[in-house]
Amino acid sequence: MIEADEVLDVSGMACPMPIFRVKQALSKMEAGKVLKVIATDLGTRKDIPAWVKHTGNELLDMSEEDGKFIYLIKIREKS
Amino acid sequence: MKRLAIIVREDAYDRILTPLAFAYLGAASDMEVDILFVNWAARVLTKGGAENLKVSKEHEGSDEMIKAKVAEAGLPTDVYEIIKALKATGKVRMYVCSLAAQIFDVTKENLVPEAEDIVGATWFLLEKAQKADVVLTF
Repeated sequence: MIEADEVLDVSGMACPMPIFRVKQALSKMEAGKVLKVIATDLGTRKDIPAWVKHTGNELLDMSEEDGKFIYLIKIREKS
Repeated sequence: MKRLAIIVREDAYDRILTPLAFAYLGAASDMEVDILFVNWAARVLTKGGAENLKVSKEHEGSDEMIKAKVAEAGLPTDVYEIIKALKATGKVRMYVCSLAAQIFDVTKENLVPEAEDIVGATWFLLEKAQKADVVLTF
Protein backbone atom coordinates (compact mmCIF):
# COMPACT_ATOMS: atom_id res chain seq x y z
CA MET A 1 0.00 0.00 0.00
CA ILE A 2 1.51 3.29 -1.10
CA GLU A 3 1.10 6.10 1.40
CA ALA A 4 0.31 9.56 0.05
CA ASP A 5 1.98 12.62 1.50
CA GLU A 6 -0.89 14.86 0.46
CA VAL A 7 -4.42 14.42 -0.82
CA LEU A 8 -6.13 16.58 -3.44
CA ASP A 9 -9.85 16.10 -3.90
CA VAL A 10 -11.14 17.51 -7.18
CA SER A 11 -14.43 15.65 -7.09
CA GLY A 12 -17.11 17.50 -9.00
CA MET A 13 -14.63 19.48 -11.05
CA ALA A 14 -14.38 19.02 -14.79
CA CYS A 15 -11.76 19.72 -17.44
CA PRO A 16 -9.57 21.79 -17.28
CA MET A 17 -9.70 22.28 -13.51
CA PRO A 18 -8.52 18.85 -12.26
CA ILE A 19 -5.28 19.12 -14.22
CA PHE A 20 -4.85 22.75 -13.22
CA ARG A 21 -5.31 21.91 -9.54
CA VAL A 22 -2.95 18.93 -9.76
CA LYS A 23 -0.33 21.18 -11.34
CA GLN A 24 -0.76 23.72 -8.54
CA ALA A 25 -0.54 21.05 -5.85
CA LEU A 26 2.54 19.38 -7.30
CA SER A 27 4.37 22.68 -7.66
CA LYS A 28 4.15 23.15 -3.88
CA MET A 29 5.44 19.66 -3.03
CA GLU A 30 8.99 18.37 -2.76
CA ALA A 31 10.51 15.91 -5.19
CA GLY A 32 9.83 12.29 -4.32
CA LYS A 33 6.61 13.05 -2.45
CA VAL A 34 3.37 11.36 -3.42
CA LEU A 35 0.12 13.15 -4.16
CA LYS A 36 -3.17 11.29 -4.01
CA VAL A 37 -5.76 12.75 -6.35
CA ILE A 38 -9.46 11.97 -6.03
CA ALA A 39 -11.54 12.87 -9.09
CA THR A 40 -14.95 12.20 -10.58
CA ASP A 41 -14.41 13.63 -14.07
CA LEU A 42 -14.32 10.72 -16.54
CA GLY A 43 -11.82 12.67 -18.62
CA THR A 44 -9.18 12.34 -15.93
CA ARG A 45 -8.79 8.62 -16.71
CA LYS A 46 -6.82 9.58 -19.80
CA ASP A 47 -5.89 13.18 -18.94
CA ILE A 48 -3.98 12.49 -15.75
CA PRO A 49 -1.83 9.60 -17.08
CA ALA A 50 -1.01 11.64 -20.21
CA TRP A 51 -0.24 14.78 -18.22
CA VAL A 52 1.89 12.91 -15.69
CA LYS A 53 3.92 11.32 -18.49
CA HIS A 54 4.29 14.65 -20.30
CA THR A 55 5.54 16.46 -17.21
CA GLY A 56 8.01 13.75 -16.22
CA ASN A 57 6.24 12.76 -13.03
CA GLU A 58 5.33 9.18 -12.20
CA LEU A 59 1.89 7.64 -11.94
CA LEU A 60 2.31 4.99 -9.25
CA ASP A 61 -1.25 3.77 -9.31
CA MET A 62 -4.73 4.49 -10.57
CA SER A 63 -7.92 2.88 -9.38
CA GLU A 64 -11.65 3.37 -9.11
CA GLU A 65 -13.59 3.26 -5.87
CA ASP A 66 -17.29 3.99 -5.53
CA GLY A 67 -17.40 6.02 -8.73
CA LYS A 68 -14.32 8.02 -7.84
CA PHE A 69 -11.00 7.81 -9.62
CA ILE A 70 -7.93 7.65 -7.42
CA TYR A 71 -4.47 8.54 -8.69
CA LEU A 72 -1.14 8.35 -6.89
CA ILE A 73 1.44 10.64 -8.44
CA LYS A 74 5.09 10.76 -7.43
CA ILE A 75 6.75 14.13 -7.93
CA ARG A 76 9.74 14.24 -10.25
CA GLU A 77 13.12 15.63 -9.27
CA LYS A 78 12.95 19.39 -9.72
CA SER A 79 15.19 20.69 -12.51
CA MET B 1 9.66 24.15 -23.99
CA LYS B 2 6.65 23.26 -26.16
CA ARG B 3 4.59 26.10 -27.55
CA LEU B 4 0.85 26.37 -28.10
CA ALA B 5 -0.72 29.07 -30.29
CA ILE B 6 -4.45 29.70 -30.14
CA ILE B 7 -6.58 31.94 -32.34
CA VAL B 8 -9.95 32.93 -30.89
CA ARG B 9 -12.59 34.51 -33.10
CA GLU B 10 -15.85 34.66 -31.16
CA ASP B 11 -16.84 36.41 -27.96
CA ALA B 12 -19.95 34.42 -27.07
CA TYR B 13 -19.67 33.06 -23.54
CA ASP B 14 -20.18 29.45 -24.56
CA ARG B 15 -17.70 29.71 -27.43
CA ILE B 16 -14.84 31.32 -25.59
CA LEU B 17 -14.71 28.83 -22.74
CA THR B 18 -13.14 26.08 -24.83
CA PRO B 19 -10.10 28.02 -26.08
CA LEU B 20 -9.53 29.38 -22.59
CA ALA B 21 -9.75 25.86 -21.17
CA PHE B 22 -7.10 24.72 -23.65
CA ALA B 23 -4.95 27.65 -22.60
CA TYR B 24 -5.28 26.51 -18.98
CA LEU B 25 -4.24 23.00 -19.98
CA GLY B 26 -1.31 24.22 -22.04
CA ALA B 27 -0.03 26.28 -19.14
CA ALA B 28 -0.50 23.39 -16.74
CA SER B 29 1.47 21.19 -19.14
CA ASP B 30 4.41 23.62 -19.04
CA MET B 31 3.75 24.94 -22.52
CA GLU B 32 4.22 28.56 -23.51
CA VAL B 33 0.80 29.71 -24.70
CA ASP B 34 0.14 32.60 -27.08
CA ILE B 35 -3.44 33.59 -27.84
CA LEU B 36 -4.49 35.97 -30.60
CA PHE B 37 -7.97 37.44 -30.17
CA VAL B 38 -9.38 38.30 -33.59
CA ASN B 39 -12.71 39.55 -34.89
CA TRP B 40 -15.40 39.87 -32.18
CA ALA B 41 -13.18 38.22 -29.60
CA ALA B 42 -10.93 41.30 -29.59
CA ARG B 43 -13.48 43.03 -27.36
CA VAL B 44 -12.97 40.44 -24.64
CA LEU B 45 -9.58 41.97 -23.83
CA THR B 46 -10.98 45.46 -23.25
CA LYS B 47 -11.82 46.85 -19.84
CA GLY B 48 -15.29 45.60 -18.98
CA GLY B 49 -15.39 43.53 -22.16
CA ALA B 50 -15.19 40.10 -20.56
CA GLU B 51 -17.39 40.49 -17.51
CA ASN B 52 -20.83 40.18 -19.03
CA LEU B 53 -20.51 37.99 -22.08
CA LYS B 54 -23.70 36.33 -23.31
CA VAL B 55 -24.06 32.87 -24.78
CA SER B 56 -24.35 32.62 -28.56
CA LYS B 57 -27.68 33.60 -30.08
CA GLU B 58 -28.55 30.06 -31.12
CA HIS B 59 -28.39 29.03 -27.45
CA GLU B 60 -30.04 32.18 -26.14
CA GLY B 61 -31.62 31.80 -22.73
CA SER B 62 -29.18 29.23 -21.42
CA ASP B 63 -26.81 31.70 -19.72
CA GLU B 64 -27.75 30.77 -16.17
CA MET B 65 -27.66 27.03 -16.80
CA ILE B 66 -24.23 27.21 -18.46
CA LYS B 67 -22.77 29.44 -15.75
CA ALA B 68 -24.07 27.12 -13.05
CA LYS B 69 -22.42 24.15 -14.78
CA VAL B 70 -19.19 26.08 -15.25
CA ALA B 71 -19.16 26.86 -11.54
CA GLU B 72 -19.76 23.18 -10.76
CA ALA B 73 -16.77 22.30 -12.92
CA GLY B 74 -14.62 24.56 -10.76
CA LEU B 75 -13.98 27.33 -13.28
CA PRO B 76 -14.68 30.97 -12.50
CA THR B 77 -17.94 31.93 -14.20
CA ASP B 78 -16.63 35.40 -15.02
CA VAL B 79 -14.44 35.24 -18.13
CA TYR B 80 -12.30 38.11 -16.87
CA GLU B 81 -11.46 36.03 -13.79
CA ILE B 82 -10.32 33.26 -16.15
CA ILE B 83 -8.19 35.74 -18.08
CA LYS B 84 -6.58 36.92 -14.85
CA ALA B 85 -5.94 33.32 -13.78
CA LEU B 86 -4.35 32.53 -17.14
CA LYS B 87 -2.07 35.54 -16.87
CA ALA B 88 -1.14 34.56 -13.32
CA THR B 89 0.26 31.24 -14.57
CA GLY B 90 3.11 33.18 -16.16
CA LYS B 91 2.79 30.93 -19.21
CA VAL B 92 0.01 32.62 -21.16
CA ARG B 93 0.29 35.73 -23.32
CA MET B 94 -2.79 37.32 -24.88
CA TYR B 95 -2.79 39.63 -27.89
CA VAL B 96 -5.40 41.54 -29.88
CA CYS B 97 -5.23 41.51 -33.69
CA SER B 98 -4.66 45.04 -34.97
CA LEU B 99 -7.31 44.73 -37.68
CA ALA B 100 -9.88 43.61 -35.12
CA ALA B 101 -8.76 46.42 -32.83
CA GLN B 102 -9.46 48.93 -35.57
CA ILE B 103 -12.87 47.48 -36.43
CA PHE B 104 -14.06 47.01 -32.86
CA ASP B 105 -12.57 50.15 -31.29
CA VAL B 106 -9.97 48.42 -29.18
CA THR B 107 -7.10 50.71 -28.24
CA LYS B 108 -4.01 50.35 -26.07
CA GLU B 109 -5.76 52.60 -23.58
CA ASN B 110 -8.82 50.39 -23.13
CA LEU B 111 -6.97 47.05 -23.07
CA VAL B 112 -7.05 45.13 -19.82
CA PRO B 113 -3.63 44.98 -18.13
CA GLU B 114 -3.48 41.22 -18.69
CA ALA B 115 -3.29 41.75 -22.47
CA GLU B 116 0.21 42.03 -23.90
CA ASP B 117 -0.42 44.27 -26.87
CA ILE B 118 -2.23 44.97 -30.12
CA VAL B 119 -0.27 43.13 -32.80
CA GLY B 120 -0.32 42.44 -36.50
CA ALA B 121 -1.56 39.05 -37.62
CA THR B 122 1.58 38.58 -39.72
CA TRP B 123 3.76 38.83 -36.63
CA PHE B 124 1.57 36.32 -34.83
CA LEU B 125 1.61 34.00 -37.83
CA LEU B 126 5.39 34.08 -38.30
CA GLU B 127 6.62 34.43 -34.73
CA LYS B 128 4.00 32.50 -32.79
CA ALA B 129 1.84 30.20 -34.93
CA GLN B 130 4.59 29.04 -37.29
CA LYS B 131 6.96 28.35 -34.41
CA ALA B 132 4.37 26.65 -32.23
CA ASP B 133 4.20 22.91 -31.72
CA VAL B 134 0.42 23.04 -31.67
CA VAL B 135 -1.93 25.59 -33.23
CA LEU B 136 -5.62 25.66 -32.32
CA THR B 137 -8.25 27.86 -33.91
CA PHE B 138 -11.72 28.57 -32.57
